[in-house]
Amino acid sequence: MLETLIILLAGIFLPLFPMSMVFNAILDRITHRWLRLLLFSAWPLIGLFIVLDRNLVLPDWLLALSLSTSALYALRLLTLREVNQWSGFLATSMWSLLWLPMMQQTSPELMYGYAVSMSLPLVLLVLLSAGLEQRFGAAYMDLYGGLARTIPRFAGVLVTVVAAAIATPLFPTFFIMLEMVVKIISTTPLAAIVLLLIWLFWSWAGARLIQGLIVGRASTDKITDMEITITGLYSMVLLALVVGGIYLSGVIL
Amino acid sequence: MEQLIIVVAVLPLISALLVQLFAGRIGRRIARVSVAATALAFLFSSLLLWWALTGNGPHALPLGNGTAIILFDSLGALLAAIILGISLIVHLYSVRYMAEEAGYAQFFVLLDLMTAALLFMVIAGDLITLVIAWYLVGVLLYFLLGQDTRSQTAYRFAFWTLITYRIGDIPLIVAAALLYNAYDTWSLTTIFTEIMANPDAHQVMGFSLTEVVATLIGLAAFARSAQFLLHTWLPYTMDGPTPVSALMHAGIVNAGGFLINRFAPVFVHSGDVLNWIFIVGLITAIFGSLLMLTQNDIKKALGYSTMGQMGFMIMECGIGAFSLAIYHLFAHGVFKGTMFLSAGSVINDARQDDGIPKDELYTFAVEKRPNKVGQPWILMAAITLAVPLLILIFAHLLIAEDYFQKQGAIILLFFGWVTGAQLIFATYRMRTQNVWRLVGLSVLSLIVVVMGYAVISHAFDLFLYPDPAFRALLYSAASIDLLRFDVLVVIITLIIVSGWVVTYYTEQSGYRRRQKTKHLWLNFYALISREFYISDIYTRLARTLLAISGRLNVWLRWL
Repeated sequence: MLETLIILLAGIFLPLFPMSMVFNAILDRITHRWLRLLLFSAWPLIGLFIVLDRNLVLPDWLLALSLSTSALYALRLLTLREVNQWSGFLATSMWSLLWLPMMQQTSPELMYGYAVSMSLPLVLLVLLSAGLEQRFGAAYMDLYGGLARTIPRFAGVLVTVVAAAIATPLFPTFFIMLEMVVKIISTTPLAAIVLLLIWLFWSWAGARLIQGLIVGRASTDKITDMEITITGLYSMVLLALVVGGIYLSGVIL
Repeated sequence: MEQLIIVVAVLPLISALLVQLFAGRIGRRIARVSVAATALAFLFSSLLLWWALTGNGPHALPLGNGTAIILFDSLGALLAAIILGISLIVHLYSVRYMAEEAGYAQFFVLLDLMTAALLFMVIAGDLITLVIAWYLVGVLLYFLLGQDTRSQTAYRFAFWTLITYRIGDIPLIVAAALLYNAYDTWSLTTIFTEIMANPDAHQVMGFSLTEVVATLIGLAAFARSAQFLLHTWLPYTMDGPTPVSALMHAGIVNAGGFLINRFAPVFVHSGDVLNWIFIVGLITAIFGSLLMLTQNDIKKALGYSTMGQMGFMIMECGIGAFSLAIYHLFAHGVFKGTMFLSAGSVINDARQDDGIPKDELYTFAVEKRPNKVGQPWILMAAITLAVPLLILIFAHLLIAEDYFQKQGAIILLFFGWVTGAQLIFATYRMRTQNVWRLVGLSVLSLIVVVMGYAVISHAFDLFLYPDPAFRALLYSAASIDLLRFDVLVVIITLIIVSGWVVTYYTEQSGYRRRQKTKHLWLNFYALISREFYISDIYTRLARTLLAISGRLNVWLRWL
């Protein structure tokens, strides 16, 4: 009984539907940029802290529930247009998958590594979203568009961050997804297929986000592009993510 | 020497980095860096091809901790040279063609990255590198097709490509995961060695692992090579820059043929899958050619032409002629690349002068007014049927005496015969002063083409699959029961010959149709002009999914 309660409590932080709604409700109410960043950085780590090192026997139904939660949010991601909400739903869809390696007895160190690897691109996306709000008053798809022409440096960084968030090679999330598929396919092939479909939905949603923001004619208003030093900083973080991804592939695959 | 293959693959990456870093300082001259790097890589790849031709390789080169492996073999060396050759032409063409476009440097970065991804794909010696390269080709193509960031249409169709490619990634990833779980290694060489030693060692849900993996690889190849039902992206992605269309039609879309060749040791133990691959290729070839003929937009017609050619390529794999598919890939790549790159000049010239001489060929081919010939029809029909067959039989007997023991070879002969017969059937009815001279010339050109094709494809066979036992295995894996095979050949021959007879009598009667059949033909034409409603069905499905997504968000209050 206590174990089930712990799992349900952790299900708020490593989202399991309907507890997953808590995170998105909090995110909806927080408008401060740094609080959002804190939320994205700390949320799954709290969940892992609750579950790990307690020698819990994770029940089989968790596989179905975590996959269903992830699939539900991946599907709902397709029609979101507000970038913060989009980041929140993608985070929910990703973090709920953390239950899978946990059920495969993955070491706590790696579990924290997975959580950080999943959250970092989302943190960058939240920062970029704040940048959009600052420039245009809202971070909203299909509202202004044309960022590739209006603010090309910002658009370049945004595209790369979205690619990192939706598990594109060589970012760590790609290798994590690949590892999950490899581990799960021999025992539950259907779950592996669902996992791959979720991944496909992320790509679909990512392409919609990119198209909704960067495509279109340049704005006639004078909009300041991202500074070169800030672009360099983002590039360094993204490069570190790629290096981390390659390193992670050597560890887990 | 083999280590040079790593340099070849890394050079475009270095070029991409240099272009990105220095584009701001030296402006459009940065394209020279990209061209020089590609030219150098092409030079090295040519050296490596020569090295492979002299009998060196295969050789596996582990990178880092050994998980990533680069494979130097004849297939990789040949395709690396082809990719870099086409990429170099596209680079050179783009220097001026893209000069007035925004995002000039970014275009060269993407082009270099795409070249690198394609190179890593063909020289990957492990499943992870292969999956990564395969995946990245789709992503990079999306951005290359969407080079014009002002165009919503370009992005709309680039998205179709991306999503089809992502669908095609799924079976490849599943195949990689199954193989890793079964053999506990990512190395392709090790996996293939073990499969050749004991093909039935592993099962997946009661099925042979090799058959399951072959099916999955086939599906991945279908998505990449625009096979029927996964083809809709190809004819519509014409809003991208012309060099990208050339690269896509000449190189990227051929990846399906490469993948099936790479997994040849799996396919030799999966005869049933090869039969299915043949059927899918055949359907694609028929539908692609049919749709090509009915397009009034030349670019879409070119797209469907590529689809038809991809169908032929996959079909060749399905009959066990794996090396022929690679030759087809190369020949089609050069042909289609030339067509796309010269399209702009042709359109430009045509604006001034259509350049069409109103001669016999124009009256026959464009106005579709064949000559009512005075030659005896039976004699011409006999020539039409007999000559190509004799040429094909002679050509192949010259190369391999046991040719007719291979069913795949007979199918190829059959297609060659149909094509040759169609050529003679068509040309002898042209308005000409001397019909016998024209038929003679047609026969001569057919001899040159068939001999060239037979000799070159045989050379590809010896280079890519030097082991005669393995080649025989490939053909025998693709074979079906002899009686069924003979019955099928007879039925198809009868269908084709009756088609010719119907065409002949229709033309003789001056294209008069009965009212009932005319109505039927119009309906059929309407169906083709809507491209069998396949894109419409997919669009409806996508919209339904989006509607469900939106409805769920409303019900759950966007939380």
